[in-house]
Amino acid sequence: MLLDFALPAHDRKLIPEGRLSGPMPWVIAIILFLTLLVAASGLTLAHAAQQGGQDLARQFTVQIIVTDPFERAAKRAEVTQYLRQVDGIRSVEPLSDASVRKLIEPVLGADILDADIPVPALIDVRFVHAQAQANLRTLRASLRRIAPDVRLDPHSAWMAPFYRLMHMLLVLAGTVFLLLMAATSAVVILAVRSTLNTHRGTLEIMHLMGGTDLQAARLFQRRVALDALWGGFVGFCAAAFVMATLSDQLAAAEPSLLAGVAFPVYGWIILALIPLAVTALAMLMARFTVISALKKML
Amino acid sequence: MRFVPFLALMQSVVEFDNVGLRYGTGAETLTDLSFTLYPGSFYFMTGASGAGKTSLLKLLYLAHRPSRGAIRIFGHDAITLPRNRLPGFRRRIGVVFQDFRLVPHLSTFDNIALPLRIAGIAERELRGPVAEMLAWIGLSERADARPAMLSGGEQQRVAIARAVIGRPEILVADEPTGNVDPEMALRLLQLFSALNKLGTTVVVATHDIHLLRDVEGAQMMRLDNGRLSDPTGSLRYPPKPLVLRN
Repeated sequence: MLLDFALPAHDRKLIPEGRLSGPMPWVIAIILFLTLLVAASGLTLAHAAQQGGQDLARQFTVQIIVTDPFERAAKRAEVTQYLRQVDGIRSVEPLSDASVRKLIEPVLGADILDADIPVPALIDVRFVHAQAQANLRTLRASLRRIAPDVRLDPHSAWMAPFYRLMHMLLVLAGTVFLLLMAATSAVVILAVRSTLNTHRGTLEIMHLMGGTDLQAARLFQRRVALDALWGGFVGFCAAAFVMATLSDQLAAAEPSLLAGVAFPVYGWIILALIPLAVTALAMLMARFTVISALKKML
Repeated sequence: MRFVPFLALMQSVVEFDNVGLRYGTGAETLTDLSFTLYPGSFYFMTGASGAGKTSLLKLLYLAHRPSRGAIRIFGHDAITLPRNRLPGFRRRIGVVFQDFRLVPHLSTFDNIALPLRIAGIAERELRGPVAEMLAWIGLSERADARPAMLSGGEQQRVAIARAVIGRPEILVADEPTGNVDPEMALRLLQLFSALNKLGTTVVVATHDIHLLRDVEGAQMMRLDNGRLSDPTGSLRYPPKPLVLRN
């Protein structure tokens, strides 16, 4: 099919050299701009979900619920020491009582904290790799021998709804992407049909002189491909500009809020491939439309 | 001892057997056509307007399939011929359309070169023959002109040049001399005659029966209300010269 680009100049003249139909490249450019933005959003979400999911699967918090502050501090030190000896743990960071109070103060209020409500001791633990549930159960059992009231809270548990939402958005982005591809196909089919009607006389002459369906289809494919490439180029440039601007805004925003929200490098390759894929799809649709129409002639 | 038509010993180019053609559900435009065309023959097809000449030509250049009967072209059954094999057969048939049907956005040169390009002839190989043809029809100076810039007669010459450039085995022409002056008409008939001598079977539909005398050995087919007739009343053409055979 790529050889269709290499049609000799004299064969290209069989249908006027102008673009297939005036607005088609621009319609393709607009659709592709939207498609690329949707794809970029999808890729960012997928990247963030993957990164965040991996991070969360490696993190958990140990809670030691002991009323007496001295005993709580002793247990925290004991558990911390134990965890630091466990293989596969990258970091163990016990939080001081002051840090814990600061964390829960916005939720419970300073007055309640001043009323000497016991707060748990917290230890932030990060594994090298994501851990299976069985490993966590084993670890929990070991820790309970040190502190019977210990609790292990995997971060993935409380972030799960958020990541479910991200996955839903990802599915939505994929659906919109497919719908936009369908719209592109429809635009191509309509444009090719219109051009077929305009050049029906020329095609009939070619046909009666022994031209094959494929020869006619190649002429249309080439023009559709050029239109799609042009539209793709414009759409890609516009989308790249928008994404670059958004990236700058993201970088300027509070980093902790948007940690993990970044457009991956491989995403640019995928985005660059989309206009080419749309061109191939447009050529395929043009070929299919022309051959179907010509089959109605003897 | 029996009589055998001596032309029947030759391989026919076209055979029509009891062919009928109707468009949609209307009455038959062509009825019970049976004839055989042999290589190197020259036929004038005459008949009043609406007699079915153009419809018969359409069957000859494979633009339509008949409603009934059998057609053999180049020894193949044209009715059962698969669609994907038709282009190969069409390339062996040159057609001059009554309304010329030149491609409006192509130059004179490109219009004439069209059949060769469709057949996949390389550009360097077709330039010579097309230039020669342009010179022959007297339009070398107008090689770059679009059809809209040509007169009716010039367009007709381009249409004829396009039909003959590929040295077709059958040349079908619908009123090819209708828009040209008598001198050009004679030149065009000489071109057809020259092609005919090289083996091309020529079928010319015309109102002008006087053209018959300009081509040596030409025969006439006459259509009346979609039926083929001849002075002897036979429906089979060409008239059958008979040879005695043991």
